[in-house]
Amino acid sequence: MSQVRVLVLAGYGLNCDYETAYAFEMAGATSDRVHINSLIDGSVGLEDYHIMVFGGGFSWGDDHGAGVIQAVRMKTNIGDKILDFVEKGKLIIGICNGFQALVNLGLLPGLNNDYRARSVAVTYNDCGNFRNDWVSMKVNAKSPCIFTRGIDRLEFPVRHGEGKLVSDESVIQQLFDHNQVVIQYAGPDGEPANGRFPFNPNGSIRDIAGICDPSGRVFGLMPHPEAYNHPTNHPNWNRRREKQKRSANKAEKGQTIGIRLLKNAVDYARGS
Amino acid sequence: MPHRLETALRPDLFDAEGEGLRKKAKNYFGIELSRVRTINILTMDADLTNEHLKILQEDIFTNPVIQMSSYEPLAVESDWIIWVGFRPGVKDNPGSTAVEAAEDSLGIKFKKDEAIYTSKRYCITGDNLTENDINTVAGELLANDIIQQKKIFSKDRWDPSMGIGFIIPKVKLNHVPTVTTIPVDSDASLQKVSDERNLALNPNDIPVIREYFLDSRVKKERERVSLSDPTDIEIEYISQGRSDHCNHNSFQGLFRYHDLESGKTEEINSLFKTCIEEPTLELKEKKDWVVSVLWDNAGAGRFDQDHYYVITGETHNSPSNMEAYGGAVTGIVGVYRDPMGTGKGSKLIMGSYGYCVGPRDYEGELKPHLHPRRLLDGVIEGVRDGGNKSGIPTTYGQVMFDPGYLGKCLVFVTAVGIMPAKINGEPSELKKTSPGELVIMCGGRVGKDGIHGVTASSETFSANTPAGHVQIGDPYTQKKMHDFLLEARDMGLIQFITDNGGGGLSSSVGESARFSNGCEIELDKVPLKYDGLDQWEIWVSESQERMTVSVRPDDLERFLKLSEKHAVESTVIGTYTDSGKLHITYDGKTCAYVDIDLLTAGFPQWEFEAVWQPPEKRGLHEPVLKEPSDYHTLFLDMLARPNMCSKEWICRQYDHEVQGTSVIKPLVGAKRDVNSDAGVIRPVLHLEKGLAITQALQPSYSAIDAYHMTAYCIDEAVRRLIAVGVDPEQIGGVDNFCWPSIQYHPKDNPDGKFKAAQLVRSCRALRDMCIAYQIPLLSGKDSMYVDGHLKGSYGEVHKVSAPETLQFTTTGIVNAINKCVTMDSKIPGDLIYVLGATVDELGGSEYYNRFGYTGLNVPRVHPEVFMKRYRALAVAIERELAASVHGIYRGGLGIHLAMVAMGGELGMSVDLAGVPVDGVDRNDTILFSESAGRFIVTIDPENRNDFEKVMDGQVLACVGTVEAGSDVIINGIDGENLVSISVKDLKEAWKRPFGDLI
Repeated sequence: MSQVRVLVLAGYGLNCDYETAYAFEMAGATSDRVHINSLIDGSVGLEDYHIMVFGGGFSWGDDHGAGVIQAVRMKTNIGDKILDFVEKGKLIIGICNGFQALVNLGLLPGLNNDYRARSVAVTYNDCGNFRNDWVSMKVNAKSPCIFTRGIDRLEFPVRHGEGKLVSDESVIQQLFDHNQVVIQYAGPDGEPANGRFPFNPNGSIRDIAGICDPSGRVFGLMPHPEAYNHPTNHPNWNRRREKQKRSANKAEKGQTIGIRLLKNAVDYARGS
Repeated sequence: MPHRLETALRPDLFDAEGEGLRKKAKNYFGIELSRVRTINILTMDADLTNEHLKILQEDIFTNPVIQMSSYEPLAVESDWIIWVGFRPGVKDNPGSTAVEAAEDSLGIKFKKDEAIYTSKRYCITGDNLTENDINTVAGELLANDIIQQKKIFSKDRWDPSMGIGFIIPKVKLNHVPTVTTIPVDSDASLQKVSDERNLALNPNDIPVIREYFLDSRVKKERERVSLSDPTDIEIEYISQGRSDHCNHNSFQGLFRYHDLESGKTEEINSLFKTCIEEPTLELKEKKDWVVSVLWDNAGAGRFDQDHYYVITGETHNSPSNMEAYGGAVTGIVGVYRDPMGTGKGSKLIMGSYGYCVGPRDYEGELKPHLHPRRLLDGVIEGVRDGGNKSGIPTTYGQVMFDPGYLGKCLVFVTAVGIMPAKINGEPSELKKTSPGELVIMCGGRVGKDGIHGVTASSETFSANTPAGHVQIGDPYTQKKMHDFLLEARDMGLIQFITDNGGGGLSSSVGESARFSNGCEIELDKVPLKYDGLDQWEIWVSESQERMTVSVRPDDLERFLKLSEKHAVESTVIGTYTDSGKLHITYDGKTCAYVDIDLLTAGFPQWEFEAVWQPPEKRGLHEPVLKEPSDYHTLFLDMLARPNMCSKEWICRQYDHEVQGTSVIKPLVGAKRDVNSDAGVIRPVLHLEKGLAITQALQPSYSAIDAYHMTAYCIDEAVRRLIAVGVDPEQIGGVDNFCWPSIQYHPKDNPDGKFKAAQLVRSCRALRDMCIAYQIPLLSGKDSMYVDGHLKGSYGEVHKVSAPETLQFTTTGIVNAINKCVTMDSKIPGDLIYVLGATVDELGGSEYYNRFGYTGLNVPRVHPEVFMKRYRALAVAIERELAASVHGIYRGGLGIHLAMVAMGGELGMSVDLAGVPVDGVDRNDTILFSESAGRFIVTIDPENRNDFEKVMDGQVLACVGTVEAGSDVIINGIDGENLVSISVKDLKEAWKRPFGDLI
């Protein structure tokens, strides 16, 4: 297959649809911003896509728990179609508000391949406020996650008030046992954040920043890969550029780590 | 029968909201609460079955992983309980989304009088808490009486089975909409009506209004539609249209400016015309990138050949002063509608803020309605929710503390949008209404919101009186509308669009109907939040999140279908005509029929006496102040001053990276914690081109001369853009004036003539600087009554006027974003240059302010000299010769050297002897003078020759080097060491005041 098609959800207060669609295009896919209602009324068919994106934003104002009402609406109206999409081996990524929606839908973590039960929650930051800052993350090399293949460290911005992942200890342990914990917040040198603010920006249990389902094809994370779609998005790009100008080996080439993460998914979809 | 669902976090989980309240109670009031747990309450006033209730509880409103819930009161341990809910008519955003979710999952439709109301219950434990303590927590931290109601229960007063009871804040008006006729038999009778109805008609306007309605032609025409004397809806319409807010009567006024020094008197016919319109039109001729100015909701400039950016700035002072959160969120969401209503509609891409408030730790005798600390908290949160939930990056902002703002705070909000240059081949910036097109209202519904502004706040409340005068913006509803309208625009369905802001429909329809020359409006078609509104109330209500759109009848079906897809309410409320008349009916009966140009013709100009007394004549002089000996402590204390110190906690609450466009963030440097000179975004993702925004405020200079205050603001705002790499030929400006009342009154405003003269001088500086710097004014606004009346210790009331304040915003184009420069020092060994001369200009400075002095020598701007420097520096940046560039602003050279070092997390050594000066021989003057036109630049030593060559002819000098070590070392004129402080200690001082806030 040459053409990988990505569906990026839009509407109802979602607000990262433009840049997410753009970032997937940079990663080699064709992407469409699709209003939730167009998917529900059938004017756009989910089956025509290979990757589905639950993107960032404030769906329904996040008024009754982030992502909660979006999940209810999707489940009520097209829950089966989404499960079908997953069963067909296609890919889903939930970013920030989308991650919150995925855990409320039960698509994540999908323990024991049950994609309907809610077993983890993503709730209010311990710091008590919305926070926008860049974070470092360490990738679990053993995770089956398609998106993080070949990636060891990540740096993306977080922009949320509800990013703290919580669950019962047994569930958390299961997530670790099955390598469903994909990324964890880290300190500036890659060492575990161990809950330290602001490296772990929200108090998430065991620094969990993102998890996947047992297959690695459904992935959710709080930080925003699509917000690192250009080298100048990085907070230190200006300092790096100055250092590079003075060093013998000139400008670093290649895509940002944000695009690389999405490209992993596009490449997988193309290959499958 | 109503139902009440209580939801709370499981007891073993950390309650961040409760903990936040506990901390604030301790930090703000010294009240020790041991534990606070929050319970969210949904009161469902709807006909729901048990099965419905079960679904709502289990599927939507309870997260099984972390929450517990019950339709009975939850038993949570507490010594005290505080319940807080909205008053009737206050926008309950979560209540509305709860209805939306319930309808969706239950497959039912709520009836018109059914609703869900949200409220909260705080369960507090603590030893020895008194009712007084709990009252303080409830009144000062949780509930604002203007929009909220509260109840307090001690342990023994709490009935665990009853809980809070069923409190339903439903609006019940029990009123039949009525049109009232207003007598115009005499000036006195109309004046009486104006007073009774709070219309604030200008006495000079009254004869003109009467003359119109008594005119025989008019009378004859009105007879045909069965009208005689004016109706209340007509008089309200005129009152709105003629208000200073809508009509800018002060700026359009006639000023008699008397200069006491020269003895000369001049007449200035409209400051707007002479100082804003004329220079802008002149510059529009010269600058082909200026697309659209002076008529639309926002101005437009060319971003590239395919895109125009649009910008405007607003203030929302009075409402924020009463209800900080609601006022601020309404302000930011409101200003975001302006670009949406510019041309045929723009996508929002960026916002910024400026807050002017009283000292955060104010402990004086005056009693403002909200303490500055609480007010600032609320304003920050309001703009946070308004911006973040709109999905628009807040890329820049600033805060200014001054006791003058105790009377009334200032909340500046700026909005930037972008639109394609062409829509279906037609210019996007042009629009008009035509006869036969439909008048459509989109977005929210109409209630009593914002009618007659805050004058209603002194009225007493009953249990069902709508508290509508203070609003709470709803970014969620507006975001849906924004997405809908952009899609409608691109489908070519929009002929004309404008927002409903001040004056509501009266203003949006009245103005848009001037293009077609008339309209017929059926007011009974306007969707209402609740019944019982009078016709005039529907017409002037300022209910938020609404746009007025003109759509061709042939396009109506597609327009409404698209609206439905986006879950946005759109209603046809009338037709544009060419009758020359504004014709309003209700249930088929005419209730208004006036000439469409009534508001633009024949009203008398306002007049002002302005008397200028130069600062020397007012007794201002330089202080007698000998040089300090302890620079070390002075330096650290200067960094820790409220107007200098770090305010990172505000920036971090604002999403400044949504849309994925961020190039230069509000905080930069090795540890991402020092303020950048400007924000830069890449608004069109596939282009390597940037748009920069920044702003400046310098109210303390007004105490000397508002001319120089203004000139400095403009220079600073230009310099900030130059520092990041903006093209100096493509800079646009936005002026936002906030002035105390300028109408002289011997008792109420005895210095009104002086304040009027300050306004004249400020406008003249605006004109002079805009022409000199070649900055067209893309947009601007004025807010003219920044005065408050505050009670003191003995019940006496003081008038507190804000300092004359201008916020100047600039935007500019960055031709290649990869050449942008940040302000932080980058590499040890780099040379530090100071550009521009330091002059003895400490008047109004932060340094003098530290000692309570004003001084006289306010910084002067020399645009001819400065602009050459800026152009040369722009070339140096373009050639990538500068490693960092930072302007020298408030606080002076010393403070801003520290900023550069803190940004880079690198030491530096600087010799003040090398700093270019003009007649200065003191270290403190060099360190803290705020002379305009200066920069600190660090460069690679390899670039030294090239840099100096590009800067040939400019005042500059190499004053030191960036050091690998951690110390900032500054040596004085005679080589003696003044300052030797580690970056760590500098940062500690700089973050001391607010570093613990999150």
